[in-house]
Amino acid sequence: MPAIHRGLAPATAFFALALTSGLVGPSSAAALEGNAERGKEIYHACEDCHTIDDNDVGPKHRGVVGRRAGSVPDYAYSPELKSSGIIWTEQALNRWLQNPQAMVPGTRMAFQLEDPQARADVIAFLKQYAKIEK
Amino acid sequence: MIEPDETPHHDADGIDRRGFLECMSWAGTGLLWSVSAGIPAALTMAKAAAAAPATTPFSFVQISDSHLGFKRPANTDVVATLQAAIARVKALPVKPAFMIHTGDISHLSHADEFDAADQLIGEAGLPVFYVPGEHDVLDADKGKAYLDRYGKGSQGSGWYSFDHSGVHYIALVNVQNIGEGGLGRIGRDQLDWLAKDVSGLSSETPIVVFAHIPLWMVYPSWGWGTDDGGQALDVLKRFGSLTVLNGHIHQVMQKVEGNVSFHTARSTAFAQPAPGTAPTPGPMVVPAGTLRQHLGIAEVNFVRGSEPLAIVDTPLGA
Repeated sequence: MPAIHRGLAPATAFFALALTSGLVGPSSAAALEGNAERGKEIYHACEDCHTIDDNDVGPKHRGVVGRRAGSVPDYAYSPELKSSGIIWTEQALNRWLQNPQAMVPGTRMAFQLEDPQARADVIAFLKQYAKIEK
Repeated sequence: MIEPDETPHHDADGIDRRGFLECMSWAGTGLLWSVSAGIPAALTMAKAAAAAPATTPFSFVQISDSHLGFKRPANTDVVATLQAAIARVKALPVKPAFMIHTGDISHLSHADEFDAADQLIGEAGLPVFYVPGEHDVLDADKGKAYLDRYGKGSQGSGWYSFDHSGVHYIALVNVQNIGEGGLGRIGRDQLDWLAKDVSGLSSETPIVVFAHIPLWMVYPSWGWGTDDGGQALDVLKRFGSLTVLNGHIHQVMQKVEGNVSFHTARSTAFAQPAPGTAPTPGPMVVPAGTLRQHLGIAEVNFVRGSEPLAIVDTPLGA
Protein backbone atom coordinates (compact mmCIF):
# COMPACT_ATOMS: atom_id res chain seq x y z
CA MET A 1 0.00 0.00 0.00
CA PRO A 2 1.37 3.38 -0.86
CA ALA A 3 2.75 5.51 1.86
CA ILE A 4 1.56 9.04 1.80
CA HIS A 5 2.80 12.43 2.80
CA ARG A 6 -0.01 14.65 3.84
CA GLY A 7 -0.51 18.05 2.45
CA LEU A 8 -3.63 19.84 3.60
CA ALA A 9 -5.45 19.12 6.77
CA PRO A 10 -5.36 15.66 8.24
CA ALA A 11 -8.96 15.74 9.05
CA THR A 12 -8.76 16.28 5.41
CA ALA A 13 -5.44 15.84 3.93
CA PHE A 14 -2.31 17.85 4.09
CA PHE A 15 0.46 15.25 3.99
CA ALA A 16 2.48 13.00 1.71
CA LEU A 17 2.40 9.56 0.22
CA ALA A 18 5.63 7.69 -0.29
CA LEU A 19 4.92 4.64 -2.37
CA THR A 20 7.30 1.77 -2.17
CA SER A 21 7.69 0.66 -5.72
CA GLY A 22 11.42 1.20 -5.45
CA LEU A 23 11.36 3.82 -8.14
CA VAL A 24 12.98 7.06 -7.21
CA GLY A 25 13.61 10.14 -9.22
CA PRO A 26 11.56 13.20 -8.86
CA SER A 27 10.66 14.21 -12.34
CA SER A 28 10.54 10.95 -14.19
CA ALA A 29 6.83 10.24 -13.71
CA ALA A 30 5.73 12.16 -16.77
CA ALA A 31 7.76 9.78 -18.87
CA LEU A 32 6.25 6.72 -17.22
CA GLU A 33 3.17 5.02 -18.48
CA GLY A 34 0.39 5.40 -15.97
CA ASN A 35 -2.07 2.71 -14.99
CA ALA A 36 -5.48 4.30 -14.48
CA GLU A 37 -6.85 1.40 -12.47
CA ARG A 38 -3.95 1.55 -10.04
CA GLY A 39 -4.34 5.30 -10.02
CA LYS A 40 -7.97 4.89 -9.00
CA GLU A 41 -6.84 3.08 -5.87
CA ILE A 42 -4.14 5.60 -5.09
CA TYR A 43 -6.64 8.42 -5.63
CA HIS A 44 -8.44 7.38 -2.44
CA ALA A 45 -5.66 9.22 -0.63
CA CYS A 46 -6.72 12.39 -2.44
CA GLU A 47 -10.35 12.04 -1.46
CA ASP A 48 -10.03 13.62 1.94
CA CYS A 49 -9.88 16.92 0.09
CA HIS A 50 -10.98 16.27 -3.48
CA THR A 51 -13.74 14.60 -5.41
CA ILE A 52 -14.27 14.38 -9.12
CA ASP A 53 -17.46 16.43 -9.23
CA ASP A 54 -17.69 18.59 -6.10
CA ASN A 55 -15.59 21.34 -4.66
CA ASP A 56 -14.56 20.44 -1.14
CA VAL A 57 -11.40 21.32 0.73
CA GLY A 58 -9.82 21.23 -2.72
CA PRO A 59 -11.41 21.99 -6.08
CA LYS A 60 -13.24 19.34 -8.08
CA HIS A 61 -11.15 17.30 -10.47
CA ARG A 62 -13.58 16.94 -13.36
CA GLY A 63 -11.68 18.21 -16.36
CA VAL A 64 -8.52 19.00 -14.44
CA VAL A 65 -6.12 17.73 -17.11
CA GLY A 66 -5.56 20.63 -19.46
CA ARG A 67 -7.35 23.13 -17.21
CA ARG A 68 -5.89 26.45 -16.13
CA ALA A 69 -5.02 26.51 -12.41
CA GLY A 70 -7.39 28.56 -10.31
CA SER A 71 -10.24 28.44 -12.81
CA VAL A 72 -12.93 26.32 -11.15
CA PRO A 73 -15.93 28.50 -10.31
CA ASP A 74 -17.05 28.81 -6.70
CA TYR A 75 -13.81 27.56 -5.23
CA ALA A 76 -11.73 29.87 -3.01
CA TYR A 77 -8.21 29.38 -4.33
CA SER A 78 -5.19 30.80 -2.61
CA PRO A 79 -4.04 33.97 -4.37
CA GLU A 80 -0.75 32.26 -5.16
CA LEU A 81 -2.33 29.42 -7.11
CA LYS A 82 -4.96 31.58 -8.73
CA SER A 83 -2.32 33.86 -10.17
CA SER A 84 0.16 31.13 -11.03
CA GLY A 85 -0.73 30.89 -14.71
CA ILE A 86 -0.22 27.13 -14.61
CA ILE A 87 -1.92 24.91 -17.16
CA TRP A 88 -2.44 21.43 -15.75
CA THR A 89 -0.61 19.44 -18.36
CA GLU A 90 0.57 15.98 -17.40
CA GLN A 91 4.02 17.39 -16.84
CA ALA A 92 2.69 20.16 -14.63
CA LEU A 93 0.56 17.74 -12.63
CA ASN A 94 3.60 15.56 -12.13
CA ARG A 95 5.58 18.45 -10.68
CA TRP A 96 2.62 19.51 -8.57
CA LEU A 97 1.99 16.08 -7.06
CA GLN A 98 5.66 15.72 -6.29
CA ASN A 99 5.74 18.86 -4.15
CA PRO A 100 3.02 21.48 -4.60
CA GLN A 101 4.53 23.96 -2.19
CA ALA A 102 7.84 23.91 -4.04
CA MET A 103 6.01 24.55 -7.31
CA VAL A 104 3.71 27.28 -5.95
CA PRO A 105 4.94 28.63 -2.61
CA GLY A 106 2.02 29.73 -0.49
CA THR A 107 -0.45 27.24 -1.89
CA ARG A 108 -2.49 25.36 0.68
CA MET A 109 -1.89 21.87 -0.61
CA ALA A 110 1.00 20.06 1.01
CA PHE A 111 0.10 16.55 -0.09
CA GLN A 112 3.04 14.88 -1.80
CA LEU A 113 3.11 11.76 -3.88
CA GLU A 114 6.72 10.71 -3.86
CA ASP A 115 6.71 7.67 -6.15
CA PRO A 116 6.97 8.68 -9.84
CA GLN A 117 4.97 5.64 -10.91
CA ALA A 118 2.21 6.52 -8.45
CA ARG A 119 2.07 10.03 -9.84
CA ALA A 120 1.84 8.66 -13.37
CA ASP A 121 -0.93 6.33 -12.28
CA VAL A 122 -2.95 9.09 -10.64
CA ILE A 123 -2.54 11.32 -13.66
CA ALA A 124 -3.70 8.45 -15.88
CA PHE A 125 -6.71 8.02 -13.60
CA LEU A 126 -7.55 11.71 -13.81
CA LYS A 127 -7.26 11.62 -17.60
CA GLN A 128 -9.55 8.64 -17.86
CA TYR A 129 -12.06 9.19 -15.08
CA ALA A 130 -12.15 12.95 -14.76
CA LYS A 131 -12.81 13.87 -18.36
CA ILE A 132 -15.08 16.81 -18.95
CA GLU A 133 -17.61 14.54 -20.60
CA LYS A 134 -19.36 12.22 -18.18
CA MET B 1 5.50 7.65 18.50
CA ILE B 2 2.81 5.08 19.02
CA GLU B 3 3.32 1.54 17.86
CA PRO B 4 -0.19 0.22 17.23
CA ASP B 5 0.72 -3.42 17.56
CA GLU B 6 2.60 -2.92 20.77
CA THR B 7 2.14 -5.64 23.34
CA PRO B 8 -0.11 -4.32 26.07
CA HIS B 9 1.60 -3.50 29.30
CA HIS B 10 1.33 -1.04 32.10
CA ASP B 11 3.80 1.76 31.95
CA ALA B 12 5.15 3.39 35.04
CA ASP B 13 2.28 5.82 34.90
CA GLY B 14 -0.24 3.00 35.10
CA ILE B 15 -1.49 3.40 31.56
CA ASP B 16 -2.46 0.24 29.77
CA ARG B 17 -1.12 0.78 26.30
CA ARG B 18 -3.65 -1.36 24.51
CA GLY B 19 -6.50 0.34 26.33
CA PHE B 20 -5.07 3.68 25.39
CA LEU B 21 -4.69 2.74 21.76
CA GLU B 22 -8.19 1.40 21.59
CA CYS B 23 -9.38 4.62 23.06
CA MET B 24 -7.70 6.58 20.36
CA SER B 25 -9.96 5.16 17.72
CA TRP B 26 -12.98 6.71 19.39
CA ALA B 27 -14.23 10.19 18.92
CA GLY B 28 -16.18 12.00 21.53
CA THR B 29 -17.75 15.13 22.78
CA GLY B 30 -15.65 17.21 25.08
CA LEU B 31 -13.55 17.33 28.17
CA LEU B 32 -14.11 19.14 31.39
CA TRP B 33 -10.96 20.57 32.87
CA SER B 34 -10.89 21.36 36.54
CA VAL B 35 -8.20 23.54 38.03
CA SER B 36 -7.26 22.81 41.59
CA ALA B 37 -4.27 24.46 43.20
CA GLY B 38 -3.25 25.61 39.76
CA ILE B 39 -3.08 22.12 38.30
CA PRO B 40 -5.47 21.39 35.43
CA ALA B 41 -6.93 17.91 35.45
CA ALA B 42 -9.18 16.49 32.80
CA LEU B 43 -12.37 14.66 33.56
CA THR B 44 -14.49 12.91 31.01
CA MET B 45 -18.04 14.12 30.83
CA ALA B 46 -19.26 11.00 32.61
CA LYS B 47 -16.85 11.43 35.47
CA ALA B 48 -17.55 15.14 35.59
CA ALA B 49 -21.26 14.46 35.88
CA ALA B 50 -20.59 12.14 38.78
CA ALA B 51 -18.13 14.44 40.51
CA ALA B 52 -19.15 16.20 43.68
CA PRO B 53 -19.52 19.87 42.85
CA ALA B 54 -17.37 20.98 45.76
CA THR B 55 -14.35 19.15 44.36
CA THR B 56 -14.08 21.35 41.29
CA PRO B 57 -13.64 24.92 42.42
CA PHE B 58 -13.09 26.01 38.85
CA SER B 59 -13.47 24.29 35.54
CA PHE B 60 -13.58 24.83 31.82
CA VAL B 61 -14.56 22.72 28.86
CA GLN B 62 -12.64 21.88 25.71
CA ILE B 63 -14.37 20.89 22.51
CA SER B 64 -12.77 20.56 19.10
CA ASP B 65 -13.06 19.79 15.41
CA SER B 66 -16.75 20.40 14.88
CA HIS B 67 -16.40 20.64 11.08
CA LEU B 68 -19.75 22.32 10.47
CA GLY B 69 -20.47 21.78 6.79
CA PHE B 70 -18.95 18.30 6.63
CA LYS B 71 -21.40 15.99 4.87
CA ARG B 72 -19.47 12.84 4.03
CA PRO B 73 -20.34 9.32 5.14
CA ALA B 74 -18.16 9.49 8.24
CA ASN B 75 -20.89 11.73 9.68
CA THR B 76 -23.70 13.15 7.62
CA ASP B 77 -25.12 15.13 10.54
CA VAL B 78 -22.38 17.05 12.31
CA VAL B 79 -25.00 19.47 13.60
CA ALA B 80 -26.64 16.74 15.64
CA THR B 81 -23.37 15.54 17.14
CA LEU B 82 -22.29 19.06 18.07
CA GLN B 83 -25.71 19.53 19.65
CA ALA B 84 -25.12 16.36 21.66
CA ALA B 85 -21.77 17.69 22.83
CA ILE B 86 -23.27 21.00 23.89
CA ALA B 87 -26.11 19.21 25.66
CA ARG B 88 -23.52 17.39 27.73
CA VAL B 89 -21.82 20.65 28.59
CA LYS B 90 -25.13 22.14 29.68
CA ALA B 91 -25.87 19.09 31.82
CA LEU B 92 -22.73 19.42 33.92
CA PRO B 93 -23.58 19.78 37.60
CA VAL B 94 -21.24 22.72 37.99
CA LYS B 95 -21.30 25.33 35.28
CA PRO B 96 -17.84 25.68 33.72
CA ALA B 97 -16.34 29.15 33.66
CA PHE B 98 -15.78 29.04 29.92
CA MET B 99 -15.21 26.81 26.93
CA ILE B 100 -12.30 26.59 24.52
CA HIS B 101 -12.67 25.35 20.98
CA THR B 102 -9.42 24.04 19.54
CA GLY B 103 -10.23 24.63 15.91
CA ASP B 104 -11.84 23.30 12.77
CA ILE B 105 -15.03 24.99 13.78
CA SER B 106 -16.05 24.87 10.13
CA HIS B 107 -15.21 22.46 7.36
CA LEU B 108 -14.69 24.92 4.51
CA SER B 109 -14.59 28.35 6.22
CA HIS B 110 -17.96 29.28 4.76
CA ALA B 111 -19.97 31.96 6.55
CA ASP B 112 -23.00 29.72 6.93
CA GLU B 113 -20.84 27.07 8.58
CA PHE B 114 -19.48 29.55 11.11
CA ASP B 115 -23.02 30.84 11.65
CA ALA B 116 -24.30 27.37 12.43
CA ALA B 117 -21.42 26.67 14.79
CA ASP B 118 -21.93 29.95 16.62
CA GLN B 119 -25.59 29.24 17.11
CA LEU B 120 -25.05 25.72 18.40
CA ILE B 121 -22.07 26.49 20.62
CA GLY B 122 -23.78 29.63 21.91
CA GLU B 123 -26.50 27.46 23.40
CA ALA B 124 -24.05 26.45 26.10
CA GLY B 125 -24.28 29.96 27.49
CA LEU B 126 -20.55 30.16 28.15
CA PRO B 127 -17.79 32.47 27.01
CA VAL B 128 -15.87 30.67 24.26
CA PHE B 129 -12.21 31.08 23.37
CA TYR B 130 -11.26 29.90 19.90
CA VAL B 131 -8.19 29.08 17.89
CA PRO B 132 -8.47 28.33 14.17
CA GLY B 133 -7.94 24.98 12.55
CA GLU B 134 -6.69 24.73 8.98
CA HIS B 135 -10.29 24.26 7.87
CA ASP B 136 -11.11 27.68 9.31
CA VAL B 137 -8.64 29.53 7.10
CA LEU B 138 -9.60 28.13 3.71
CA ASP B 139 -11.11 31.36 2.43
CA ALA B 140 -9.29 33.15 -0.38
CA ASP B 141 -7.93 35.65 2.15
CA LYS B 142 -6.45 32.84 4.23
CA GLY B 143 -8.22 33.43 7.50
CA LYS B 144 -9.83 36.85 7.20
CA ALA B 145 -13.27 35.30 7.64
CA TYR B 146 -12.12 33.68 10.88
CA LEU B 147 -10.43 36.82 12.17
CA ASP B 148 -13.40 39.03 11.35
CA ARG B 149 -15.58 36.78 13.46
CA TYR B 150 -13.33 35.51 16.25
CA GLY B 151 -10.20 37.62 16.16
CA LYS B 152 -11.20 40.68 18.14
CA GLY B 153 -8.37 41.61 20.47
CA SER B 154 -6.00 39.03 18.99
CA GLN B 155 -2.74 39.61 17.22
CA GLY B 156 -1.31 38.42 13.93
CA SER B 157 -3.31 35.50 12.57
CA GLY B 158 -5.35 35.24 15.77
CA TRP B 159 -3.08 34.53 18.73
CA TYR B 160 -3.73 35.96 22.20
CA SER B 161 -3.54 35.23 25.91
CA PHE B 162 -5.70 35.79 28.96
CA ASP B 163 -5.75 35.08 32.67
CA HIS B 164 -8.39 33.36 34.72
CA SER B 165 -8.27 32.33 38.38
CA GLY B 166 -4.50 32.48 38.54
CA VAL B 167 -3.87 30.50 35.37
CA HIS B 168 -2.36 32.08 32.25
CA TYR B 169 -3.92 30.83 29.01
CA ILE B 170 -2.14 31.17 25.67
CA ALA B 171 -3.97 30.65 22.37
CA LEU B 172 -1.58 29.89 19.53
CA VAL B 173 -2.22 29.64 15.79
CA ASN B 174 -0.27 26.93 14.00
CA VAL B 175 -2.37 26.43 10.87
CA GLN B 176 -1.03 29.24 8.71
CA ASN B 177 1.82 28.42 6.35
CA ILE B 178 1.51 24.71 6.94
CA GLY B 179 4.77 23.21 5.82
CA GLU B 180 5.70 20.40 3.50
CA GLY B 181 4.30 17.19 4.87
CA GLY B 182 1.46 19.01 6.56
CA LEU B 183 3.14 19.88 9.85
CA GLY B 184 1.83 22.87 11.72
CA ARG B 185 3.92 26.00 12.04
CA ILE B 186 3.86 28.76 14.63
CA GLY B 187 6.28 31.16 12.97
CA ARG B 188 8.85 33.63 14.20
CA ASP B 189 6.49 36.55 14.81
CA GLN B 190 4.27 34.50 17.07
CA LEU B 191 7.22 32.93 18.89
CA ASP B 192 8.62 36.40 19.58
CA TRP B 193 5.22 37.48 20.88
CA LEU B 194 5.04 34.40 23.08
CA ALA B 195 8.39 35.17 24.69
CA LYS B 196 7.23 38.70 25.49
CA ASP B 197 3.84 37.53 26.68
CA VAL B 198 5.26 35.36 29.43
CA SER B 199 8.34 37.41 30.24
CA GLY B 200 6.78 39.07 33.28
CA LEU B 201 5.19 35.95 34.74
CA SER B 202 6.44 34.07 37.75
CA SER B 203 7.62 30.55 36.96
CA GLU B 204 5.02 29.36 39.44
CA THR B 205 2.19 30.62 37.24
CA PRO B 206 0.31 27.66 35.78
CA ILE B 207 0.26 27.87 31.99
CA VAL B 208 -2.32 26.40 29.63
CA VAL B 209 -1.47 26.56 25.93
CA PHE B 210 -4.02 25.65 23.32
CA ALA B 211 -3.68 25.37 19.55
CA HIS B 212 -5.21 23.25 16.83
CA ILE B 213 -2.44 20.98 15.57
CA PRO B 214 -0.58 19.11 18.31
CA LEU B 215 2.54 20.99 19.37
CA TRP B 216 4.33 17.70 19.90
CA MET B 217 5.20 15.20 17.21
CA VAL B 218 2.34 12.76 17.47
CA TYR B 219 2.84 11.19 14.04
CA PRO B 220 4.90 13.37 11.69
CA SER B 221 4.37 11.29 8.57
CA TRP B 222 0.69 12.18 8.77
CA GLY B 223 1.45 15.81 9.51
CA TRP B 224 0.40 15.35 13.12
CA GLY B 225 2.80 17.71 14.82
CA THR B 226 4.17 21.24 14.70
CA ASP B 227 7.59 21.73 13.18
CA ASP B 228 8.54 24.63 15.46
CA GLY B 229 6.48 23.48 18.44
CA GLY B 230 9.68 22.69 20.29
CA GLN B 231 10.69 26.34 20.12
CA ALA B 232 7.45 27.37 21.83
CA LEU B 233 7.98 24.77 24.51
CA ASP B 234 11.51 26.02 25.06
CA VAL B 235 10.11 29.45 25.81
CA LEU B 236 7.75 27.92 28.36
CA LYS B 237 9.99 25.29 29.94
CA ARG B 238 10.74 27.36 33.05
CA PHE B 239 7.14 27.15 34.19
CA GLY B 240 6.34 24.56 36.81
CA SER B 241 2.99 23.56 35.34
CA LEU B 242 2.44 23.60 31.60
CA THR B 243 -0.60 22.00 29.98
CA VAL B 244 -0.86 21.84 26.17
CA LEU B 245 -4.31 21.24 24.67
CA ASN B 246 -4.78 20.44 21.00
CA GLY B 247 -7.27 18.97 18.55
CA HIS B 248 -6.81 18.09 14.88
CA ILE B 249 -6.32 14.34 15.20
CA HIS B 250 -9.85 13.57 16.44
CA GLN B 251 -8.79 11.24 19.20
CA VAL B 252 -7.46 11.33 22.71
CA MET B 253 -3.75 11.12 23.15
CA GLN B 254 -1.75 12.27 26.10
CA LYS B 255 1.90 12.49 26.90
CA VAL B 256 3.67 13.76 29.97
CA GLU B 257 7.22 15.05 29.94
CA GLY B 258 8.45 16.51 33.18
CA ASN B 259 6.22 19.43 34.03
CA VAL B 260 4.53 19.40 30.63
CA SER B 261 1.30 17.57 29.95
CA PHE B 262 0.14 17.25 26.34
CA HIS B 263 -3.42 16.35 25.52
CA THR B 264 -5.38 16.06 22.30
CA ALA B 265 -9.16 16.19 22.30
CA ARG B 266 -11.78 14.25 20.44
CA SER B 267 -13.81 15.68 17.62
CA THR B 268 -17.48 16.43 17.83
CA ALA B 269 -17.81 15.46 14.16
CA PHE B 270 -16.07 12.28 13.07
CA ALA B 271 -13.37 9.80 13.95
CA GLN B 272 -9.96 9.43 12.42
CA PRO B 273 -7.79 6.32 12.43
CA ALA B 274 -5.18 5.78 15.09
CA PRO B 275 -1.68 6.58 13.85
CA GLY B 276 -0.36 3.95 11.50
CA THR B 277 -3.55 1.89 11.41
CA ALA B 278 -4.63 3.16 7.97
CA PRO B 279 -2.79 4.21 4.81
CA THR B 280 -3.78 7.81 5.43
CA PRO B 281 -5.46 9.96 8.03
CA GLY B 282 -8.88 11.34 7.30
CA PRO B 283 -12.55 10.86 8.12
CA MET B 284 -13.16 7.30 9.23
CA VAL B 285 -16.45 5.61 8.48
CA VAL B 286 -17.61 3.53 11.41
CA PRO B 287 -20.06 0.63 11.25
CA ALA B 288 -23.64 1.58 10.50
CA GLY B 289 -25.61 2.45 13.58
CA THR B 290 -22.59 3.04 15.80
CA LEU B 291 -21.73 6.61 14.93
CA ARG B 292 -23.16 8.11 18.11
CA GLN B 293 -21.27 5.58 20.13
CA HIS B 294 -18.07 6.56 18.45
CA LEU B 295 -18.80 10.24 18.70
CA GLY B 296 -19.38 10.42 22.34
CA ILE B 297 -22.22 8.99 24.24
CA ALA B 298 -21.00 5.44 24.27
CA GLU B 299 -17.46 6.70 24.28
CA VAL B 300 -18.22 8.09 27.69
CA ASN B 301 -19.37 4.66 28.83
CA PHE B 302 -16.14 3.23 27.55
CA VAL B 303 -14.16 5.74 29.49
CA ARG B 304 -16.22 5.14 32.60
CA GLY B 305 -15.10 1.55 32.62
CA SER B 306 -11.52 2.30 31.73
CA GLU B 307 -9.43 3.66 34.54
CA PRO B 308 -6.32 3.93 32.35
CA LEU B 309 -7.83 6.75 30.32
CA ALA B 310 -8.80 8.57 33.47
CA ILE B 311 -5.19 8.34 34.54
CA VAL B 312 -4.07 9.53 31.13
CA ASP B 313 -6.32 12.50 31.45
CA THR B 314 -4.86 13.59 34.70
CA PRO B 315 -2.03 16.00 33.88
CA LEU B 316 1.16 16.04 35.86
CA GLY B 317 3.25 18.88 37.01
CA ALA B 318 2.12 17.98 40.49
